[in-house]
Amino acid sequence: MRLLVVEDESLLRQQLKQGLSYQGFVVDVAEDGKAGLYFSTEYAYDAAIIDLGLPEIDGISLIKQIRGADKQFPILILTARGDWQDKVAGLDAGADDYVVKPFRLEEIVARLNALLRRAAGFAKPKLNFAPLTLDLTAKRLSVSDEDIDLTAYEYKLLEYLMMHPGQVISKTELTEHLYAQDYDRDSNVLEVFVRRLRLKLDPQQTLKPIETVRGQGYRFCLAESR
Amino acid sequence: MRAYSLRSRLMWVFGILLCVFLGLTGVVLDRAFRSSVEAGAAEQLQIQIYLLLSAVDERDDEFYFLETLQEPRFNQLDSGLYGYISSASTGELWRSDSARAFDPPELGFLRERIGVGQSRFQVMPDEAAVYFRLSYGILWEDGISEFNFTVLVNADPYYSEIRNFRRDLWSWLGGVAVLLLMIQTLLLRWGLAPLSRMALDLRAIELGEKDNLEAEYPKELRGVAANLNQLIESERKQQSRYRTTLGDLAHSLKTPLAVMSGIIPWLKSAEGKNSSEFLSQLRAADEQIERMNQIVTYQLQRAVQADNSLSIARRVNVAETTDQVIEALQKVYADKQMFVHREIDKHAQFIGDKRDLMELLGNVLDNAYKYGRSELIVRIKREATLTDGVVIQVEDDGQGIPNEQVAYVLQRGARADTLMQGQGIGLAVVADIVDSYGGDVSVTTSVLGGASVKLTLTAPASQ
Repeated sequence: MRLLVVEDESLLRQQLKQGLSYQGFVVDVAEDGKAGLYFSTEYAYDAAIIDLGLPEIDGISLIKQIRGADKQFPILILTARGDWQDKVAGLDAGADDYVVKPFRLEEIVARLNALLRRAAGFAKPKLNFAPLTLDLTAKRLSVSDEDIDLTAYEYKLLEYLMMHPGQVISKTELTEHLYAQDYDRDSNVLEVFVRRLRLKLDPQQTLKPIETVRGQGYRFCLAESR
Repeated sequence: MRAYSLRSRLMWVFGILLCVFLGLTGVVLDRAFRSSVEAGAAEQLQIQIYLLLSAVDERDDEFYFLETLQEPRFNQLDSGLYGYISSASTGELWRSDSARAFDPPELGFLRERIGVGQSRFQVMPDEAAVYFRLSYGILWEDGISEFNFTVLVNADPYYSEIRNFRRDLWSWLGGVAVLLLMIQTLLLRWGLAPLSRMALDLRAIELGEKDNLEAEYPKELRGVAANLNQLIESERKQQSRYRTTLGDLAHSLKTPLAVMSGIIPWLKSAEGKNSSEFLSQLRAADEQIERMNQIVTYQLQRAVQADNSLSIARRVNVAETTDQVIEALQKVYADKQMFVHREIDKHAQFIGDKRDLMELLGNVLDNAYKYGRSELIVRIKREATLTDGVVIQVEDDGQGIPNEQVAYVLQRGARADTLMQGQGIGLAVVADIVDSYGGDVSVTTSVLGGASVKLTLTAPASQ
């Protein structure tokens, strides 16, 4: 998942970038509202973390402008003051959740995961596509109630596909949302991951959950079970 | 633009008004007097014409006088009073002895056609002097001939009278103007004295010589003085609250800091980084950080909170603010899909600071969303027994707060370092704010099974 972090405090910005990257997110950082606005309109993000007290363009205006540009990705606000007036103003401007400083990284990650899941249209932290179940909180996959071990990249890939069921996802989109910018996009690493994932999910090749759409990309084609 | 003082503004306005009024009065009086002098002159000239008429006779186109004219100035050369008889067709027929060597400024009047029984008055300026002329048309005894009887008189005496009048008039008006300006200055000083007194009082307050505006002010300023006193008092209280808060903050941070400074050397010297003792010390450090965070949050809230018994009251619509907070929380707790029963009086108003109301609603509703399972009741109603009072009640279907803990979570003004581990500061903050409005907080069990938090708020005036 690709994230935008807009925070003017450089130490905090670095901590967030490191911490979130370690958690498997692809993170872009901006140090002020102007840069934040540029990034958010130029690139496709899955979510953004925006500090309310920013130079150039303040957080609330930035959120309004992002929403004004019809960007619908979830936004998590960081606020130092913690009073309800600020929180309500931020949420009213178009943010989806808030975290008050000081915070723990685990809290940010939990909120982000919930926002991403909600944005994908899932009400619960477990995605059920029988016989597959992906637990977003525990980051665990089970097939017919049997846990399957996935590497971090395999998990990210599957999570992204399952969050967009039925949609054709191009290789470019997958690369952009799953790997840092400097990753070599021409290599066939993605194909390797997809092949390995298919083997783990469906060793007998009876289910075929990930379909290759020739010339376009991949599609997760199981139906969600309620 | 330069800000002129009130006194100089009023002085200018009154001064200009005075000049315009007295100037116009002078001009009008001057004109009226001049007209009346000229009318008087015309009347006198008419009498002279009647004199001439009564004494004149005519034979063979020659005019002669049966007796010496009663007005001696007609007979005395260059006396300043001149008489003429003329007709429009032939011009001059006779002139008085006084006019033998007199050369009138113009001679057009001799042939002037004037209706019978009509007279014409004219001011005739000359290089040397100004003359008044009155001509009178008559029909002679023969019933055919028409003659003009004209009398000219030197206007100097009249003009000197006008000049005298004018001098007197303007010196009087000038005197009146000076007098009025002096009176006005005194009146202004008297009228603006309360403002000057207020400025002096404020200066004394600045210098610390006085505590508030004590003087007896006129009723127009009483409200301002009272508000200023409130403001000063509220500022003073705010300052003292900042001091107390800062003191509390410093004191309450010392305990966790002391614990931390004990833990860190231990951690440095510890051997096994994974031993259970090491991990428990790490956890303790973590707890202290959380505690410090709570202390800072709580004291910050106390410091910025308005002093509501004194601050100048504002009205905030409770329904609108409640809707805003609920809408925000619906986003944050979207997963819970909480159903909110709203029983909200749209006209209920909170007299006080909007930030405080937001804080109250935010904390109470956030707790309800956090601990509630699927539904809430939000009731806002006006309190009939209180002037401008409002009751906010929020109920949830969560676990509720055990009776023995209610007093503790509401412990108003409790220093955050005495709060129980894991206990949020939300309700303590709420209790603090409500208390500053002289209100009341009660926590009971809801019909939904969870907690029911009821805030009763009164307007500052009704305390």
